[in-house]
Amino acid sequence: MAQHGGPQQRIFSPLRTALHRFAFILLILSAFGLMLLGKADTVLIERIRAASADLVSPVMNVISRPAASINELTDKIYNLAHLYEENERLRRENQQLLAWQQAARNLSHENARLRDLAGYTSPPALHLVTSRVIADMGGAYAHSVMISAGSRDGVAKGQAVISDEGLIGRVAEAGYQASRVLLITDINSRVPVVVENSRDRAFLSGDNTNRPLLTFLTADAAVAPGDRILTSGHGGAFPPGIPIGVVSSVSENAVRVAPMFRRHQLEYLRVADYGLQGILSEDRIRQSQPSNDANITEVSPDLPDGVGIVPAGPTGNEGTSPSTNAAGEAQ
Amino acid sequence: MKPGVWHRLDIIARGLFPAFSVFALLLINLLPLSVPLLSTASPALALMAVFYWSVNRPDLLTAVTAFLLGLLQDLLMGLPLGVSSLVLVLVQTGSASQGRFFHNKPFSVMWWGFALVAIPALLVQWLLSSALIGALLPFKATMISYVLTAALFPIVAWVLARAQNTLLRYV
Repeated sequence: MAQHGGPQQRIFSPLRTALHRFAFILLILSAFGLMLLGKADTVLIERIRAASADLVSPVMNVISRPAASINELTDKIYNLAHLYEENERLRRENQQLLAWQQAARNLSHENARLRDLAGYTSPPALHLVTSRVIADMGGAYAHSVMISAGSRDGVAKGQAVISDEGLIGRVAEAGYQASRVLLITDINSRVPVVVENSRDRAFLSGDNTNRPLLTFLTADAAVAPGDRILTSGHGGAFPPGIPIGVVSSVSENAVRVAPMFRRHQLEYLRVADYGLQGILSEDRIRQSQPSNDANITEVSPDLPDGVGIVPAGPTGNEGTSPSTNAAGEAQ
Repeated sequence: MKPGVWHRLDIIARGLFPAFSVFALLLINLLPLSVPLLSTASPALALMAVFYWSVNRPDLLTAVTAFLLGLLQDLLMGLPLGVSSLVLVLVQTGSASQGRFFHNKPFSVMWWGFALVAIPALLVQWLLSSALIGALLPFKATMISYVLTAALFPIVAWVLARAQNTLLRYV
């Protein structure tokens, strides 16, 4: 803090302006230094980010509650105004869903019988942590939210975050009591996906708009607006078969996907621990170093096959194939 | 008159108010509001407060404080580190040196001043973030963000001015 008055100020004032100028240059340089550091040492920065999320999460936890209740009020008013249309829509939807329910029952019976016949072992139970969205970060520059669950609740970096509708994103940093979730629309997000009907594989690449892009599609891929997009499970970051969105537009150079969620309406999210650690987990990188190779396949978490409906790709994920279901269960 | 310990503590606490107000605005910026527009582009509330204090009380919001607040913003919002620090330090230094120009002028002059300062500030933020991420960020969201920032400045400035008059009159 600067101090006022005093006769010594007159003597020191030229010194002070020089010092100020020096401090300014120093601050500018350290800002650029930080940019380099952020690019170079990602592990350290991640820890600091997680710690800062922990720091503000108690405050955000409290002040986001009134905000949520205001949101509820506006929602209620909106719903009241649209009661009639909503009722009509739901009635129609209910009819369709009843038909689907019948189909689903038949299929699940058939599925159970076929599983018995094939000696199928079910995938490991998934561990879900439900938490509230306490902050929505960024806006123009980043698409991420903060949730009120951290390593205390079993949340770890890389886990899938889902809502009722489908995949939201993944945990970017997990603090002790709060974590940051990188949404699939963020420019840093890449998710291996598959088109539901044509089984074409691609990447869902966010670009900080509300409509992420499908990239690395093959030239002969058959994609049309309205096609559903699911996670493919490649790379071991997400299990296969989680719905992500619907293709919204197809043009010469871009296929865009409308995610299932609406960012401003995210309220409660579930963090799903599928026992997968993703291709970038530290354990996995350590294990992939050539050491005693016998242990690698046992310790490294492989894809539990059959979580969804996607057969393992021809590239293979370190020896995982549909015939070695048991290997996925061994961990 | 010799000021007592409590009096001095009181002065220090009041002196910290500008930095605290920027921090509080940062947290308000993080609130999850279910307004569709705000989820794609949010107003830069911290920028408004840093500008306001640099013009009115540069002694209470120094460049170092601006740097630290920028760092906190980057950490909390998941932005590339260092970008907000740079922007806020530049805004602080620039507006503090031009602060006298705004004194005893109507508020609209300060509003125009802020609208002008916010253009390079958000441009630098957009350019550096794009460069560090390695891909062009959508410019439209930045434009919306700028319009919101410029339009909401009077509200934030009014609140800060009220606080300045009540808390910082004798500091």
